[in-house]
Amino acid sequence: MLSRSSLCRNAPRALSSGRRAMASAANPTFQYDVSEAAGVKVANREVGGATGTLALVAKAGSRYQPFPGFSDALEKFAFKSTLKRSALRITREVELLGGEISSSHSRENVVLRAKFLSGDLPYFTELLAEVASQTKFADYELKEVVSDLLKYKQLAVSSNPETVAIDAAHGVAFHRGLGSAQTPSQSTPYEKYVSGDALAQFAQDAYAKSNVALVATGPNSADVSKWVGQFFKDLPAGASSSQYKVQPTVATQYFGGEQRIPSKAGNAVVIAFPGSSAFGTSGFKPEASVLAALLGGESTIKWTPGFSLLSQATKDFSQLNISTKNNAYSDAGLFTVTLSGKAEQVGTASKNVVDALKKAAAGEVASEDIKKAIALAKFRALESLQTLDTGLEATGSGLVHGSKPYQIAEIAQAVENVTEQQVKEAATSFLSGKATLVSVGDVFQLPYAEDLGLTV
Amino acid sequence: MSAPSITNFIVKRPWLKRWMTPLANWYTDAAGYRKLGLKFDDLIPEESETVQKAIKRLPAKEAYDRVFRIRRAFQCSISHTLLPANEQIKPDEDKEYLSPIIREIEKETKERAELENLVVRK
Repeated sequence: MLSRSSLCRNAPRALSSGRRAMASAANPTFQYDVSEAAGVKVANREVGGATGTLALVAKAGSRYQPFPGFSDALEKFAFKSTLKRSALRITREVELLGGEISSSHSRENVVLRAKFLSGDLPYFTELLAEVASQTKFADYELKEVVSDLLKYKQLAVSSNPETVAIDAAHGVAFHRGLGSAQTPSQSTPYEKYVSGDALAQFAQDAYAKSNVALVATGPNSADVSKWVGQFFKDLPAGASSSQYKVQPTVATQYFGGEQRIPSKAGNAVVIAFPGSSAFGTSGFKPEASVLAALLGGESTIKWTPGFSLLSQATKDFSQLNISTKNNAYSDAGLFTVTLSGKAEQVGTASKNVVDALKKAAAGEVASEDIKKAIALAKFRALESLQTLDTGLEATGSGLVHGSKPYQIAEIAQAVENVTEQQVKEAATSFLSGKATLVSVGDVFQLPYAEDLGLTV
Repeated sequence: MSAPSITNFIVKRPWLKRWMTPLANWYTDAAGYRKLGLKFDDLIPEESETVQKAIKRLPAKEAYDRVFRIRRAFQCSISHTLLPANEQIKPDEDKEYLSPIIREIEKETKERAELENLVVRK
C-alpha cells in the first residue's frame, strides 16, 4: 500500500524526470550494430534470448510501386511457391520448427518477418533469401490465392471508415507518390496492371541488394553476418529497365485540400496538416510529436479522459474516438487528427479540434500540460523503437532510405528540448497554412472545412 | 488421369523407339481425332478435379482455342463430316498444352498427401 506521504514525495520526482539520464540510453543492447554482408545492409541487436527475429525491409511500399496494387500483391506473394519448394512445404516446415512468418507493407516499405527459436537462424535466413530472390510469381497462384487475399484486404479497408479517411487524407495531401493509396480501393481497376510477369519484374527490383535491409534482434552479430553473407549473395543486383521497376523517389510536396466520401460503413473525419518526417531526416520536427501528444484524444490511463486537450474537450461524447498522430515518412510527414463515431458527434467534435488548435496557437495551455505531453511523446518515440513490430521497420527503413539509423538517446534529447514556444509556433503554422480535411460516411451531416474555419 | 503406358519403356531403348515411332505415328493418325480438328490433350477426360483445375489454369488464349476445337469437332460429329484437309490438326501442331499443368497439379497433390502423412521423429 502506498501511503499518501510517499505519493507526495514521488510526484515532484516524476515531473522532474527530464534531468535524470535515461536508463535505456546507457544500455548498449538497445543499439543496433550496423554492418554490411554480401552487399546487403544488416542491422542487428544482440539480446541473447531464446528466440530471435529477422526482418527484410524493402523500399517497395505503395509510394514506390509502378502501378496500383503492386506492393499489396508483392506482400501477399511472400512465402508462396519458390523455385525450390512449394508454399505448402514452406508452411509445414515453419510449423515443424515452431516459427512464425508474416509479411506486411506500409507506404514506404514491404516487410517480410520471421520469428524463430535462436537455433533456427540459418533456416530462416535462407528462407527469406529464397523468398526474395526465387519466388515463382505463377499466374495461377495470383488467380487462385493472391487475388482473393487482396480482395479480402480491400474489403477490410473499405469497411473501416478511419482507414479510408487516412488513406484519402494522404492522397489529398501528397497527390502521387506518398499519396497513392496504400491498398487500392474496391473500385480501383488494378487487375489490368497486376500479372505474374509484371510482379516478377517488380520483385527483381524491389528485392535488389541496394534496395533492402535486414534487421535482426536476438542472435549474435557474427552469426547474422555469416548467414546473410552466405544466403543473400544471390539476391538480384537490380536496376532493370522495365516499366515495372521500383519508382524513383520524387521529393514529396504538400498540397492540402478537402475530400468527402459517402460511405455506409461508419463516420470518420480526418483533419491533417504537414507534419514532421522521420528521425534523422532534414524535416524532423520533434515539436510535431509533442503537439500530437498534447492534442491527444486517447487516454493512456484507464477510466480517465487524461490530460490531453481533445479528450478534455470531448469527454461528454460517449460514442466518439479521437486520436492524434504524426505519420512520419522519409521526407515528409502528415499530422492527423482522426475522429470517428456517430455523425453528429463527429461533426461537433471537429469544431472542438480546431478550437483546441487555436488554444494551443494562442499559448493558452498550461505549461504543466506541455510537460506531460513532452513526457508522453518521448515515451511513445522510444517505445515504438523498442517494440518489435514498429522498431524493426523503422530501423530498416532508416537504412534503405539512407538516413542515419535510429539513436535512442538522440531522439529522447530532441523531444526533451522542445519548448512551449515551438509547440505554439507549430500550432500557428497549422492554422495559417493549408489544411487537409477528409470526411467519410454520412456526408450530409459531416462538416465542410469552411464550417470549421480551416483554409484548404 | 493417365492410363498405364509403356512409353517410358520404349523411349529408354533407342532401337525400340526407332522401330516404334513410324508405327505410333500411323496409329495416332488413324485414330482420326486430328481429322476432326482436335489435339490429343483435348481427349483427356475432364470429369476429375485435377483436370478441372488444370483447365482453370490455362492461359486465356489456350482456353478459348480449346473450347473452339471441341465445338468444331462436335459439329463435325453431328453432321458426320471431316474437316477439310487444310483445317485439320497437323502432327506438329498436336503438342501437349494441358498435360504439363496436370502433371504439376498431380505433383502438388502428391506432396500434400505426403506432408499430411508425415511422421516426425526426433
